[in-house]
Amino acid sequence: MSRQSIPLKNPYLAAFLAWLVPGLGHFYQGRRGKGVLYFVCILGLFVAGLTMGGGKIVFWRWVSPFQNFEDFRLWYLAQFWVGLAAFPAVIQSTLARYGMSPILGGYLAEPALHVLNGMHRQYGRFIDIGTVYTAIAGLLNVLAIYDAFEGPALADEPDPSTSPEPAKPASLVLEPST
Amino acid sequence: MNPASINIFWLLLPLAGAISLVYAASRHESWKRIWWHAARLSMTILGLMAATTFLLLLLHSRG
Repeated sequence: MSRQSIPLKNPYLAAFLAWLVPGLGHFYQGRRGKGVLYFVCILGLFVAGLTMGGGKIVFWRWVSPFQNFEDFRLWYLAQFWVGLAAFPAVIQSTLARYGMSPILGGYLAEPALHVLNGMHRQYGRFIDIGTVYTAIAGLLNVLAIYDAFEGPALADEPDPSTSPEPAKPASLVLEPST
Repeated sequence: MNPASINIFWLLLPLAGAISLVYAASRHESWKRIWWHAARLSMTILGLMAATTFLLLLLHSRG
């Protein structure tokens, strides 16, 4: 399949939708199979990781990394890219900053200090594994967002079994037709 | 079942599988190529990790 035959529609909107919910941008483009694949793989990884850490490993804190790197949530920079599933952390942190109560039943709100201190005793190594799962889910969605915006990185050559002509070199297939 | 009793190595399988599938899907549009690329990549990832584990265990046993 050549790059031109992939319906990217509005790539900016597709990329935004792909960030919002993994796979949604591909659904918008009519690439439903890929949409399901991204949704299952990325959100599955995120939910599995979040569950391993008892729902307390994805949260954000408004601190400057230059002034307080210890408290800075470096992992969240990757987790953020899962989209709507991870975004409430920013809302909860903002509410906490202005002294307001968390919403959504405290989903992705920063746990209290005594809860954080007791997490390793309660969940052990699953905290680390869950954190890696959720962060990798976010980074994988960056690939999915790029795919929604730009199309696949490699234009596939035509299947020789379905084409009457002999297979052409990849460089010729990649040339855009004007 | 106690989750703590799960061998940590089993948790690498879904991780390697998801990484391989998403990466392959971002490279190709044809499903045949996506599955083939994902299968090869997941085998490569797991093979490299197994080889690293074996090497580290070997060094540990000789140390």
